[in-house]
Amino acid sequence: MNGTEIRETILSVESVSKIYKMGEVEVPALRDATIDILDGEFLMVVGPSGSGKSTLLNMIGGMDRPTSGTVRFLDQDITKATDHQLTLYRRSKIGFVFQFFNLIPTLTALDNVQVALEITSGTMEPMEALRLVDLEDRAGHFPSQLSGGEQQRAALARALAGNPRLLLCDEPTGALDLENSRQVLGMLVRLKRELGKTVVLITHNNAISALGDRIAMMRDGTIHSIQLNKEPKPVEEIEW
Amino acid sequence: MVSRVLLRKLRRDLWSRKGSLLTLVVIMAIGIGYYVGSAAVYRDLDGSRHRYYTEYQLADFTVDLKRAPEWAVDTASGLPNVRTVRGRVNMPVLIDLIGVSAPVSGTAISMPVTRTPVLNNILMRSGTWFSGNDNREVILNDAFARENRILPGHRIKVLLLDKQHELLVVGTAMSPEFVYLIPPGGALAPDPARFGVLYLPERFLQESCNLKGAYNQLIGKAHDNSRTALDNTLSLIARKLDAYGVANTTPVHEQMSVRFLADELTGLKVGAVIAPLIFLGVAALVLNILMGRMVTQQRPIIGTLRALGYSRGAITRHFLGFGIVVGISGAVTGILLGWWLQSLMCWMYKMFFALPSIDPHFYPDIFLKAIAISVGFSILGTIRGVRFAARLEPAEAMRPPPPEKGAKILLERIGFLWGKLTFRWKMVLRAIFRNPFRSTVCVLASLIATAIIFMAFSMVDSLNYLINYEFENISRQDFAIALRDPKGRRVTDEVKNIPQISEVEPQLIIACDLRNGPYRKRIGVTGIERGNRLYTPLDDEGRPISLPEHGLVLTKKLAEILNITPGQIVTLRPLVGRRQEVRAAVVGTVETFLGVSAYADISYLSRLIGEEWSANVVLSNKYKGVSTEKVMNALTKRPKVVGIGDRVRSLSQLKKTFGEFMGASIGTMVLFAGLIAFGSVLNAALVSLSEREREVGSLRVLGYTPGQVFGIFSGEAFLLNGIGIVLGVFGGIGLAYALSAAYSTELYRFPTIILPGSIILSVVIMMIFIGIAQLIVYRMIRRLNWLDVLKVKE
Repeated sequence: MNGTEIRETILSVESVSKIYKMGEVEVPALRDATIDILDGEFLMVVGPSGSGKSTLLNMIGGMDRPTSGTVRFLDQDITKATDHQLTLYRRSKIGFVFQFFNLIPTLTALDNVQVALEITSGTMEPMEALRLVDLEDRAGHFPSQLSGGEQQRAALARALAGNPRLLLCDEPTGALDLENSRQVLGMLVRLKRELGKTVVLITHNNAISALGDRIAMMRDGTIHSIQLNKEPKPVEEIEW
Repeated sequence: MVSRVLLRKLRRDLWSRKGSLLTLVVIMAIGIGYYVGSAAVYRDLDGSRHRYYTEYQLADFTVDLKRAPEWAVDTASGLPNVRTVRGRVNMPVLIDLIGVSAPVSGTAISMPVTRTPVLNNILMRSGTWFSGNDNREVILNDAFARENRILPGHRIKVLLLDKQHELLVVGTAMSPEFVYLIPPGGALAPDPARFGVLYLPERFLQESCNLKGAYNQLIGKAHDNSRTALDNTLSLIARKLDAYGVANTTPVHEQMSVRFLADELTGLKVGAVIAPLIFLGVAALVLNILMGRMVTQQRPIIGTLRALGYSRGAITRHFLGFGIVVGISGAVTGILLGWWLQSLMCWMYKMFFALPSIDPHFYPDIFLKAIAISVGFSILGTIRGVRFAARLEPAEAMRPPPPEKGAKILLERIGFLWGKLTFRWKMVLRAIFRNPFRSTVCVLASLIATAIIFMAFSMVDSLNYLINYEFENISRQDFAIALRDPKGRRVTDEVKNIPQISEVEPQLIIACDLRNGPYRKRIGVTGIERGNRLYTPLDDEGRPISLPEHGLVLTKKLAEILNITPGQIVTLRPLVGRRQEVRAAVVGTVETFLGVSAYADISYLSRLIGEEWSANVVLSNKYKGVSTEKVMNALTKRPKVVGIGDRVRSLSQLKKTFGEFMGASIGTMVLFAGLIAFGSVLNAALVSLSEREREVGSLRVLGYTPGQVFGIFSGEAFLLNGIGIVLGVFGGIGLAYALSAAYSTELYRFPTIILPGSIILSVVIMMIFIGIAQLIVYRMIRRLNWLDVLKVKE
């Protein structure tokens, strides 16, 4: 991203807090978080485990509702959305990628992509989505027959199938080795660049954050700082 | 909208649990099979009965008289609520068959000489109606003719009032009056070979029975044939026709054959509700456990689907599909099983009931109901899991489930007890108490299964006891010779003088009206000679009672009907002789399981009918080694003999009829109940195993053998099922008592018999079923790839 270019805010998080009630105890997971996500950017959210990254991602993705504050996607206040509107929001605007892939073990890679396609109005063919992640030759394999990297790529294809504007990745390389991690991260960068996707990636791994256009640092449930990364590193140079 | 891919997932999820589901489907199928079979047979039987009764005009009431002139029919017809009346002759006969060494008993009934539709009409099965030219023609009861291989054209010899007639068999027929035909005199089972019904031309029978221009039985139809209306009408008829010696009045619902059939239909109706309820209930509970586990296992998948934009509705439909598939599979299998049961039951009923047709028909509405019931129950079984899945917030679903409650179980608080337990038992107890629902279902399933199995055995024990009690302990005679009219003392000597006879004992059986205030009952009072040995009514402790010189001893059921206790006075009116009302003290009660009756001293009873001493039944024993046929032949040649009861034959007939039937139904009950235990034990164990795979893996890493791991798991099953079995034995005893109470009718009562042998047998059978299920669990533990289990994230 060019620092001087002014981009549209696609999603804004305003003073969002989330408190979980565990029996008698209240656990604040997110405190007064405010951040704008810009169209077409690669946003890294970095922090140790328990810092509130996943909670933030869940708020952005319409997976959970904040205790206070507002999350706005373009003009839509998703904190006020009904259950059904949230479902539609996740279906059409968001693509999720999870640390443990979360593929349905009893379905093939192709079927797993089909699961997402069946409920969207997108016109993408499941094979096309697999091609985007270089997995078309493994389409008929079940998750248990794929390597970790392949499984994550299948999950990525599934996330892309609905043609979402926003890709939310929760520690996508957390369960992968370096080689597979590079492959997946490279793909995310490419998708951002070539398809103009907005990518939000959360990680506890500082090394990865160098890939992002901006880096949000989290600690103890708050967004500690947001830095602009003028020169994102190429994937090949990432080491950990 | 149903997602195609999710359907594929559903199919594979189902397939991967095929073992569990198969046992579930079997349990459901049994429930549905019971429902379909019983409901369909009910309709087959009820429809057949209804058509038969209507088409062949079964009478609403029967009035037995000594002798009523033909015009008494008009008198009766003119009474309120009476629609039509037909007079007829009904006379006991003896039939001398070629090839059968001893004459057999029967009943002769008059029919119009030309075929006209009359009350209690007969359905011709072969041959023709009377020719009208020759009076000496007979139409035989079809079953009797078949059993004795008599065809139209054959001749039979019939003894009517001591006079032998040779009759030409012109046809065979059946009647709605005798759908369940049991020989008179305390038999329980039909004996078509040894008891016949003969239809004879009216005029001929009247003349042969000294009833020229008269009848001894009126049968009729009423406008209102409800119970009370019939009772009122009958007492009116009895009053109006009193001069003709009304001996007995019977409303249609008290007619033996009608009652047996009605009782059977009621039983079917009850069975069509209770059995399915038990089986489907257990299946729903087990499905509940299975579903709960599946939803827990699929939490991340549910979360992912929700993240992808699947609605709660879509999740609900997807998981509900699980239940629907199980329900439909259960229904389809159940319908097939039900169809088979229906055919089997129809075949069985054909042996018991003489109906024109008992054919299994298809009832699509029953099938549809079966599907609805089955799917309904399986949805009931899945709904808890489905609701849990649908309620999961996507973010929550993505997180691993909250760790199992680690809190101490109640037992752990009892320090000294808990401290004494081995590590293994601590694990077992914790597993049981941390899954209270599953543990309860497990106990409940064993309880139900044990109770059903014990109840089945207890039914056999009860029937055996009853038969033994009635046919061995109370009755000990070889023959009961029935005489046409009461005779003096000479009659016993006469029988005693027959060379083959070793022992005789007279009895006087008189139909009487007994009344205690508003409670009344018409029964046969049996007069017994002192020093009785061949027929000994027994008291509560099974000791023969000694009859008082005056007064009556009632069977318990009769005392209950009359609402009377020993020491009170009952009003008694014999229906023969002087027919004067007298007051008699109730001296005691005795226990019987068949019918209701009262006993009195024979001289006392004789005096009530205006005689010094008389008897109309002579019980007798033959010398050992003498053939029954020889004695029967000697006895039937005597005048005034109208029937001979053969106790040994009745007993064997009873054992034969009920033996086959009981054997089949007990076997099925035990098998079905065992499957409940097997299915629920297996499923609970599989779910427990899948939850604790990592535990198994950890134990195996520590060096436990599969057998030792199994020991820990089986401890849970054996403890829960052990509790279930113990409770089930009590439950079974309760059921046996309930069943005795439910089947306590005037016709028969079943004693509650609790034999230790049956308890042990039930427990052993349960242990076998549970053992088989546990063997499967053991095999799974052995085959579990525990290293992989440990590698996978929970």
